[in-house]
Formats: sequence, C-alpha cells, structure tokens
Amino acid sequence: MARYFARRILSSLLLLVSVSILSFVLLEFAPGDFYETLRLNPRVSEATVNALRSQHGVNSSLPVRYFRWVHSVSKGEWGYSLAYDSPAAPILWTRAKNTLLLTGTAMILAWIIAIPFGTWGAARRGKAPDWFVRGTTSILLAIPDLVLALLLVLCAVRSGYFPAGGMVSFDFSEMSLWAKFRDLFRHLFLPCLCLAASSFPVLLSHTRTAVLEVLESPFITAARGYGIPVRRLLFRHALPAAANPLISLFGVSIGVLLSSSVLIEVIFGWPGLGQLLLEAILQRDFFLVIDSAMLATAFLVSGNLIADVLLYACDPRVRAN
Amino acid sequence: MLGESGHYGGRLVISERTEPKTLNPLTALDGTSRDIIGLISADLIHINRSSLGTEAALAKSWEMSPDGRRYTLRLRRGVRFSDGHPFDADDVVFTFEAYLDERLHSPQRELLIISGKPLRVQKLDAYTVRFELPQPYAAAERLFDSIAILPCRLLKPLYKEGKLADAWGLNTPPEQIAGLGPFRVKEYVSGQRIVLESNPYYWKIDQHGNRLPYLREIVCLLISNPDAETMRFEAGETDVISRLSAAGYSTLEKYENARGFRLYDIGPGLEYDFLFFNVNDLVSRPLGSITYKQTWFRQLAFRRAISMAIDREAIVRLVYQGRARAMWSHVTPGNKLWVNQEIPTGLHDATGARGILRNAGFFWRSDGRLIDPARKPVEFSILHNAGNVQQMQMATMIQADLKEIGIEAHAVPLEFRSMLDRIFKTYEYEAAIMALADGDADPNVEMNVWVSDGGTHVWDLTPKRKLEPWQEEVDRLMNEQLVTLDYPSRKRLYDRVQRLIWENLPVICLVGPDILVGAKKRIGNFHPAILRNHTLWNSEQLFLRQIQ
Repeated sequence: MARYFARRILSSLLLLVSVSILSFVLLEFAPGDFYETLRLNPRVSEATVNALRSQHGVNSSLPVRYFRWVHSVSKGEWGYSLAYDSPAAPILWTRAKNTLLLTGTAMILAWIIAIPFGTWGAARRGKAPDWFVRGTTSILLAIPDLVLALLLVLCAVRSGYFPAGGMVSFDFSEMSLWAKFRDLFRHLFLPCLCLAASSFPVLLSHTRTAVLEVLESPFITAARGYGIPVRRLLFRHALPAAANPLISLFGVSIGVLLSSSVLIEVIFGWPGLGQLLLEAILQRDFFLVIDSAMLATAFLVSGNLIADVLLYACDPRVRAN
Repeated sequence: MLGESGHYGGRLVISERTEPKTLNPLTALDGTSRDIIGLISADLIHINRSSLGTEAALAKSWEMSPDGRRYTLRLRRGVRFSDGHPFDADDVVFTFEAYLDERLHSPQRELLIISGKPLRVQKLDAYTVRFELPQPYAAAERLFDSIAILPCRLLKPLYKEGKLADAWGLNTPPEQIAGLGPFRVKEYVSGQRIVLESNPYYWKIDQHGNRLPYLREIVCLLISNPDAETMRFEAGETDVISRLSAAGYSTLEKYENARGFRLYDIGPGLEYDFLFFNVNDLVSRPLGSITYKQTWFRQLAFRRAISMAIDREAIVRLVYQGRARAMWSHVTPGNKLWVNQEIPTGLHDATGARGILRNAGFFWRSDGRLIDPARKPVEFSILHNAGNVQQMQMATMIQADLKEIGIEAHAVPLEFRSMLDRIFKTYEYEAAIMALADGDADPNVEMNVWVSDGGTHVWDLTPKRKLEPWQEEVDRLMNEQLVTLDYPSRKRLYDRVQRLIWENLPVICLVGPDILVGAKKRIGNFHPAILRNHTLWNSEQLFLRQIQ
C-alpha cells in the first residue's frame, strides 16, 4: 500500500515537472510579450520598452528563465508577475481561494442533486420520473454555459433579487456576521447555480447508468426477493455497489475545481483564478499563466490520487489486487 | 472650471475593466492604474480635460524666460500630503529626479527628455523651483500634467536603497501611501475593488471656500466583461460607466428615464481607427509575396483609390450606429484646438477609385478582378484585432467595399499581442487596421507617429534609405512646431502636417468613435470630457444630490 502511494506521488511530481517544462516551451512560441502594447504609446520610446524587457528578464533565454522560476518557486514566490510588478504567489493564492469557494460549492450542490435524482431515475426506468430526469439532463446539456450565464445575469438585472456580479458587496466589511453570510450567499447563488447546472447532467447520467447496471445484477434481484424495501435497496445496496465509476468521476470533479470556472468567473465578475488567468494570457504575463497551469495540474493529480484512495478504501477487489 | 456648490458625503461606485496593477506613479503602465493614481495624486500644472488648456495646480503660478528655456514655478503654501505632512520644493525636486532616473525606466521619462537631453530642476527656495529645458519647447507647460508629485519624506529612503520601483504596490498598507490628490487609498480587495476615501488635507476649495472633495468615498469595482459592466450599471450597482460601446449605449438608452441615469455622447474623442499598408523595407527578410505587393502599397494612386473606395459613412452608420465621425485626416473633430478645418472631406466613390487605378496602369479581368500592370491579381490581407468587435466589422465592410473595385481583401483577425508582434517585430503582414490615442490633444505627443524615424511610425519602422519630399517636409514641420512657442504659428505648421498626411495617405484614416458615458442623474457637476479620465477628471467637484 505505502509503496503503491509512494510510486503514485513520485509519478505525480514527475508529471508536474514535465508540465512546467512543457508550459515554458509552449509559451515560448506565443508571439508578443508583456511590453508589446507599450509600443502603441507614442510617448514611450523603443529604448524604454527594451530596457524594461531586459530589467525583467523577458529577453533571457528559455533555460535561464526556467531556472529563475524554479529558484523563485523554492523561495515560495512562484515567479514574478510583470503586470502586478510583484511575486506571483500572493496574487494566485487569493484568487485560488475565491475560485475554490465557488467551484467547491457548485460541485457539492451538483453531487447532492445528481445522486438521488440519478438513482431515482434508474429505479423508475422508462417511467415518468426517468423521462423527467433524462429530459432535464438533455436540456441542460444543450444550453451552452455562456448562454445560461448571460440569461442568469439578465434575470438578476431585471428582477433585482440577486446582484448581477461580484463576490461581496462593497460595504461587506461593515456588515454583521449574519449579514456577511447572506451577502456572500446572494453573490454566490447565480454563478454557483450556473456551474452546477453545467456539471449536473454529466453526474446525473453517470449515476443513473451505474445504478441501472447494478439494479440488473442477481444480488439485487435476490434482495428484492427477500422483501427489502425499495429505498433501502437503492441507497444501502445498489448505490454502494455502483460507487466505483462515481468515485472516479468524483476524482475528476476535484481535479477540475480550479479550471472549470473561467467563463463563469468572467461573466459574473467573480474574482477568481479564471479572470486572472484570462487577463494573464492576454497580457503575456507568463509566470501567472504557468503557475495557474501548475495549480490546475496539481489539482488534477490530487483528484486522481483521492479517487484512488477512496477506491482502495471502498472496493475490496482493489485492495486484493 | 468652477462647478455647482455640492453637499459633503456619499459614495460613488464606478467600474474598471481591469484591476489596477500598482499605485506607484513611476512604474504604472496600464490605464486603470493611471486612472486610480490620478485620483490620489496631483501635478504641478494640469491640463483641464474640458478646455484642453493648462491650469495652475500645485504650482499656483509660473513664468517662462524670454528664450523659452527656463520655467520658474511658485508652489502653493500650506499644502499637505494625504498623511498630513507638508509639501514643498524638496518633493518636486525628488519627484523629477526619480522620474528621470534611468534605472527606474519610468514610461513617463521620455516626456522629460527633450532633444535627447533631460530637463533640469533646481530648488530656489522652499516654495519656488526652476526647470531648465535644453531647448525651447512648445508644450513645456503640458509636460507637468500627470507627473504625480511624490512625498520625498516617505519615498527617498526607498529610492536610496534602490527599492523605489517596488514601492506602493497593491498590497502596501494604505497608511504608507501618501498623495496630493482629492482621495487616498482606503482598502484594496484583490480582484474585487479598490476603495478610496476623501483626503482630509486636500488643497482645493470650492467658490464658497469649502474644502473639496465633496464625496466621502469612491469605490472602484473590477468588472472585466463589457456586457456585464453595462448590465450592472443598468441594474444600479454602479453610478458611472465610461467607455460605453455604441451597442451598449443603444441598449441603455431604452432605460434612461426609468432607471434614473443619463447617457452622454460627447462627440469624437482623440482616438481614431485607421488602415495602413506595410511599407517597411523588407529586402533582408524572406517575405517575398509581401515585398511584391509593396509595389502597389507604395503607389500613392493605389492608396488614394483604396481610400476613395472605403465607405466611411457606412462604417459610422453600421459599426458605430451613428456614434462616430468619418475621418479623412488624423486629427479628430474632437480636438478643437488642433484640427485643420480646411481638410476636405471626401465621399465614397467606387467609380472615382476605378478611374485612379486605371490611370495608374491597373485593369480588370472579365470576372471583375483587378489586375496590376504586371498581370497579377490584386489581393491582400487586412490584419485586425480579434478582440475588437468594431475593428472586425470594419474589416468586413472594407473587404466588401474593395470587392466593388475588384480587389480581393481578406480580413485576418489576430489576437492583439500577436498582431502587434507582426507589426512591430516580424513585419509579416500586408495591411492592418489599428487605433491610436493618447492622453493629450497637443501634437507633440504624436512626434513618434509622424516623424519618419519615430517608434510608432507603424507603417514603416525600418531604417529609411531615402525619404520622399513630403516625408522630409513632415519631419521638418514636426520638429519646427516642437520649438515654436506661439500657438498660431504652431497651428499653421501642424495644419500643414495634416494636409500632407491627407494628400499622401501614409495611413488611411477611417473613423473617430464618440466618447460615450453614462451617469446617475443625481451626480452633481458631472461634465464628461474627451480626455481620459473622461468621467472623473473633476472628481473633487462631484457630489451626490441625494446622500445615501
């Protein structure tokens, strides 16, 4: 067991190093640099632009820049943001926390809804509840995230029930604890709903399929024969047996926590990593882009690792192998 | 400009599309940072965004020596920084020393270098400073605008340690930042907002002797998506919106009365869109197909025909919904001080364009395609910024207009920095649409654009072997206006530059978009201007008629 996880951790580290090298190489091919737009300012000379490039090492060779970044990672700075003129780490952590709040809540919401509805749909296969579940899934899958997000923002603007964007009100710091909670909830509701609605159909379909497969197995027929009530049968016997694919999917859900909300964050003005990443890409603020890619990879690797641990804990067959 | 007497208090909520990146005036590169810095700092002589003229700021008066090389500025007494410490000549001397320091690479340093030499500043007494210029400089007074005066007491120790460039980042505690502007930093929340509070030591007063500013706070929210920015203004979450698109303006117009805001179309700003051809010297580069097409691009008749074939009025109508002006010269009608009213405006004339091309030896194939004298079909690509919807629409319309005269033009959208890379570095493009704008109406800021060896001479950045007579004349005129001190003579020189540009079309000017903004009706003294910061340039005078 310990050897297996040590091997997994080692391969994850190697993956992270490979991703960092690949990110540097790929970004090397991106045309333009951070200081390119300064050339459009007629008041700024080419000499000043070049001096700024040299000062911040933009002109240095790829290996030099890579090792500088590695050195800065070792100091906990994670490179240097040219746009913010400061180490990248504090900028990233603040934004990553906001993203995790949004995506984490949306993920929990989506799973909480998907599991009972998926199980319910599977138990009533071919009947009205199943049609309802499948219909909802199809509709949500057909609506692009962008359209759904814009519709929700429009609803917020017209109705005035929810704020049209942002994370908290600007007088948040002056609010009582309860008012703060309410304010955060009101801001979180729509982007969270939008994110949950985009991942919910996938989770629901997987749950339904997995449970359906188990419901057709002989031990469930036997259990039915023993007169076990339907609810107990579904949630105590069928669902745990159908857990394996869902655990793997849960791992993926964790893995994409940092990278799944770029579009939603931009539309709802959520101050997360998505907005920062988009701006960094457009501005060629390379260290922020590389750090974001590294964080997303780290989450993906951790998600897979968590899924493996859960599978190990839940499935005796995995333990036996 | 004296405004209406206002009430104290209230919070104004504004939005910016990007986050400010720093609060250090020396190193700020982006517009948002400069907007925020503009609210927390002050300069010696200020350009009034409404009249476009200069006005006294921290310098209460100034004198120019008869030879135009020496400026003596008398500073206001009793002025204090936002942390309560007094301001005097030492702060001015330190500020200019810092801006001119080569090691800091301040983007504003160039402004203070005249004919390759830096201006010199000298303290005469605690409230008098003298600036010496290497040569007479026409726009000398305007140099002082936006050079934020820094507190010597706070920043000199950092300067000595070589840490000045890193000072005043976004995470610097607000009490360590001091300025002379109407507001000071209260709070910054990453990715969300920056809150400014009124500076209790601000030096300006209203006509009744009351200390300005009136507003208690300005909250600047980060809303990166333009549609979201429009919707949140409509929802009442923000009080002011700047840089509205024509489409956004039309959307908001419907709710103008119901939602208690007012929209302003203040006419064309200083920005203009233009089309230009790549006429860089590409002999040493393997760009054969472009080199061949340059034989067309270098012909005045060809450029004239293209200019004539483009229907600018249609661009104004369809792309900007009527909220822009068609342009035939590079100075927009918004720049009332410098626009040459004598420049004739043309009309879309495909027949005329065909005539010019025919006279230049071009002819048409039976299928209507234009063929050059060497029997090659005329075809080129037009690069434009993929992130700019208006430029994308313009490129498509130009494509259709050129088709009318048998030219196959291909619109090529490219991500902005990739496009700039091609224009400024690799020269791998045939034609491009771009927009240029700057923070001042004075012709001096355009030196780098029109002088043949200027860094923003975008259509031809390579070293020139031989200049055409009109180019030589433009160089001479631009350099002459730089040292001509009286306005009428300068205007005559710059009028001639405008005429030469119009006649020789190194760039084909297309349209000058209007400045469109919106604000809640209850905001007093709101007078949007064509210079940036369009809406908050008189922030100290703004007030809310109904306090929240």
